[in-house]
Amino acid sequence: MADLESFRAWVADASATLTDQAEHLTDLDRAIGDGDHGTNMARGFAACAALDPEAGYNGIDAYLKMVGMTLVSTVGGASGPLYGTFFLRLAGPLAAADEVGVHQVGQALRAGVEGVVARGKAQLGDKTMYDALAPALEAFDEASRDGQDLASCLEAAALAAAAGRDATEPLVARKGRASYLGERSAGHIDPGASSATLLIEAAARTLV
Amino acid sequence: MISVVVVSHSRALADAAVALAAQMAPGPDGPRVEVAAGLDDGTLGTDAAAVAAAIQRGDEASGHEGVLVLMDLGSAVLSAELALELLGPEVAGRVRLSPAPLLEGLVVAVVSARSGRDLGEVAAEAAGGLGPKTAHLLPDDGAGPCPEEPSVAGPTTSPHRVDAVELEVRGPHGLHARPAARLVACAAEVAPQTIVRVRNLTSGRGPVDALSLSRVATLDARQGHLLLAEASGPRAREVLESLTELARDGFGDLPRSGAVAEAAAVVDTTGGGVAGSGLDAAVGPVLRLDARLDGHGIPAGSVAEERVRWREALREAGERLDQLAEQARRQLGDPAAEVFEAHATLLRDPELARDVSRRLVEGQSAATAWAETVEATAAWFDQLADPYQRERAHDVRAAGERVLRLIVGAPEPESLGEGILVVEELDPGLAISLDPRAVRGVITWHGGETGHGVLIAVSRGVPVLTGEEALRDVPAGTTVAFDGRSRTVEVDPGEEVLTAFEELLDHRRRERDLALETSATPVVTTDGVPLRVRANVSSLAMARLAAQMGAQGAGLVRTEAVFGHCLQAPSVDEQAQVYGEIAAALAPHPVAIRTWDVGGDKPLPFMPTVVEANPFLGTRGLRAFVHDPRLLLDQLEAICRVAAHAEVQVLFPMVTTRSDVDLALTLLREAATRAGGDGLPPLLEVGIMIEVPAAALNVSALTEGLDLVSIGSNDLSQYALAADRGNGDLAAWSDPLEPAVLRLVRATCEGVPAGMPVGLCGALAGEPGLAGLLAGLGVSQLSAVPAAVPLVKERLRAGSMAGFREIAERALDCPDAASVRALLGQHADARRRESVSARPAGGTAR
Repeated sequence: MADLESFRAWVADASATLTDQAEHLTDLDRAIGDGDHGTNMARGFAACAALDPEAGYNGIDAYLKMVGMTLVSTVGGASGPLYGTFFLRLAGPLAAADEVGVHQVGQALRAGVEGVVARGKAQLGDKTMYDALAPALEAFDEASRDGQDLASCLEAAALAAAAGRDATEPLVARKGRASYLGERSAGHIDPGASSATLLIEAAARTLV
Repeated sequence: MISVVVVSHSRALADAAVALAAQMAPGPDGPRVEVAAGLDDGTLGTDAAAVAAAIQRGDEASGHEGVLVLMDLGSAVLSAELALELLGPEVAGRVRLSPAPLLEGLVVAVVSARSGRDLGEVAAEAAGGLGPKTAHLLPDDGAGPCPEEPSVAGPTTSPHRVDAVELEVRGPHGLHARPAARLVACAAEVAPQTIVRVRNLTSGRGPVDALSLSRVATLDARQGHLLLAEASGPRAREVLESLTELARDGFGDLPRSGAVAEAAAVVDTTGGGVAGSGLDAAVGPVLRLDARLDGHGIPAGSVAEERVRWREALREAGERLDQLAEQARRQLGDPAAEVFEAHATLLRDPELARDVSRRLVEGQSAATAWAETVEATAAWFDQLADPYQRERAHDVRAAGERVLRLIVGAPEPESLGEGILVVEELDPGLAISLDPRAVRGVITWHGGETGHGVLIAVSRGVPVLTGEEALRDVPAGTTVAFDGRSRTVEVDPGEEVLTAFEELLDHRRRERDLALETSATPVVTTDGVPLRVRANVSSLAMARLAAQMGAQGAGLVRTEAVFGHCLQAPSVDEQAQVYGEIAAALAPHPVAIRTWDVGGDKPLPFMPTVVEANPFLGTRGLRAFVHDPRLLLDQLEAICRVAAHAEVQVLFPMVTTRSDVDLALTLLREAATRAGGDGLPPLLEVGIMIEVPAAALNVSALTEGLDLVSIGSNDLSQYALAADRGNGDLAAWSDPLEPAVLRLVRATCEGVPAGMPVGLCGALAGEPGLAGLLAGLGVSQLSAVPAAVPLVKERLRAGSMAGFREIAERALDCPDAASVRALLGQHADARRRESVSARPAGGTAR
């Protein structure tokens, strides 16, 4: 079971990891985008990690909404509204719960990923964060159906996300700034899929 | 007044854009412009929360009239969409996200909002903000109309898409004028305030405003192309669903049941039948349409006055087109009516309206603004790849012309007085709609004799003289007398010339009446040689007309014209039925059915057109079926079925070599087997068209196994003389009476085995003055337009084969076409002198 503290730990872990990986993400983005993904993500999550624990939110859903709005206002690039939407939607199925289990987290992940798709209108293979999030969600659901616990489900999701991320390398981008490069976008791992994988990996370490 | 919100990654960029736009609408009475740009710490980026706040401020400042949001790229669009979600449906319902490029859209939006337009209008104008720049740059780069996104972005990157559907173009002609008009009408009907943009995913053209017929047609969407329709706004889904449904029906362009019977029944090229004088000559005052009505240099009144003038003309023209469509539907059926309907839709095109409005504001007169807009739009079509689509340039000009006439107070084409119409070119629409009782004749100062419009007019019995450059500037009302047969024209003729013409007309009238009286009797020359005069037919109605005119069968059934209305290939059953009825109409005489003659200038709707550098020297006629003979086999099977009980001849077009003949015979035998026969049907005769000089010169090698040949003189002369028959500028090189062409006719007649009939079915056969010459060269069956049949018969009856042969020998010795015509003229004079003595009232030609 995960409680508010687990979710705060997730965001703190994500912030640390993204700060750590900022340069790597920015390098990826420089190859096929505008080269600001690492700094944007690190800035946004740092702002989230710095949210005052006493500042007027109670409950997991309220916290996640605040994280979403903070990302919206601080990330800057397209990842802002996309990850912002992810966290805002994540909050929905977790309303009025102090502790959540495998089933609710699964529902929340689904809502979050669907929010990303609705916002970005990406499809599988478009070389976007969705290429990591979709297999992660699928693996989570499968592990959940097998009756595994939250930690194992998230572990499976993280592995699937990494595989999905790696599979973006040969793809030609059809969304976002990278799509302006056309064929030239092939041969590089997508930075959005990379940051999404880092986020799921952080969840696997913390939401237990 | 609505408000505007600018969303940008960069605060500096947004502020500068707002300052630039404010220059266009200075003073305090512009719209409120709110900015949401950059992040708080000054970095580049967008913030959905800040966008939501800006929209809220704008909404309040507008008194909740509405907010138009303009964005730069990428996350700006996503953030704006998220902002709408954050604001909730009530506020979001008053907000439009504009797909316009930021700066262009902002400038247009500020100007438009300041003039008090509502949200829908401002949004529509902003969406077209790129138009002037595109129009300006287009002539140099020839690119699509709205290249606001780089093509490498691929088809699905449109960042402003809220909802989208893919539409497949299934109609055989692609999204040509009529289906395009239906798409526009559908979008306009379902949700006129919703911005719908369409792009062609296959060709990369677009996106364009779906409410603009002129722009939609520039998508150059052909059969098999995939379109992407994108819509934003509360009714987006609804309009896209309607479009999906429309696309499923092929945009109304897929064949309905019974289309074949309808096609066969419509008198497709003869209009109201033979209603003209049929005399090939006419005298009367000049009527002018001023086909190139010049809208320039007309002084402009106030902007408001000019706007009223333009609006009024547009409304009146629209009403008139609706009437004409109704009339055409009654007289000629749906396809003819839809031409007028498409014109009416063009006039209601918001893209045109925007362009005209802009020009009016710049101080142009209504006439100038309209003329320039129409010409710019027509130029769009001119540069399209598909020839069928390119023809739409003509529609635009014709529809535009109608409005221009109303603006400047010139008479419309349909309300002409009585006299001789002088036009640049005789287009099919005019040829079919002109009233032959009032229009005694037509003179063109451009264009050749075999243009489609000319053929229609001639088949309706309207005298036509083409390519008279000298009459280009003759004023309306001037008396003109002309004779199409001798190609003479007199402007402002004196008493003496006028009398001579009146006598000529009188003579011809009596000759025509006599010919009509005796049209049913067969043709035997004075020295006892029997000849046949048959008719070229393009429909069942024309076959019936030909029978009335005394045609001894059909020398040429143009099957591609008979089924030209069909959008899908007619089945074997359907073809057999139509061919059977044509044969029955002309029984007991045989009908010569030419197999699909596609390519060159004859596209067949149900056959994919191959794009070739030189179509007339390309895969025309039989050549088009070498790799895939299925359509031809179906046709041959239908012909074989009819030949089981009726006298039928089959003619293969564009035969060049012996292997062409072998292929034709192989396919014919296969079709005969399919038709259930044991070998070829007993009543079937097999022949080839002689159109290629190589075939004429090698005819003896080609005719083994055949029963007849038929000379297509139009093609034979254009190939022999290397001059495009449709090109009026080449008139000096395309006279089919050049001795070289006559020698090819002679070579054909001499090359065939003794006794094999040689037909001739080009325009030459329809000129009564040439009948004797052709017979003298050895042609035994002339096939003419139905209207000319009685007179051709009469001419052949009046002479002797010995005389015809003598003329032919002398013509072959002439150095050029002019000498041949002079020779024939002398002969005609001599003949007329004879007929004068026989019939006291006869006169002289000049």
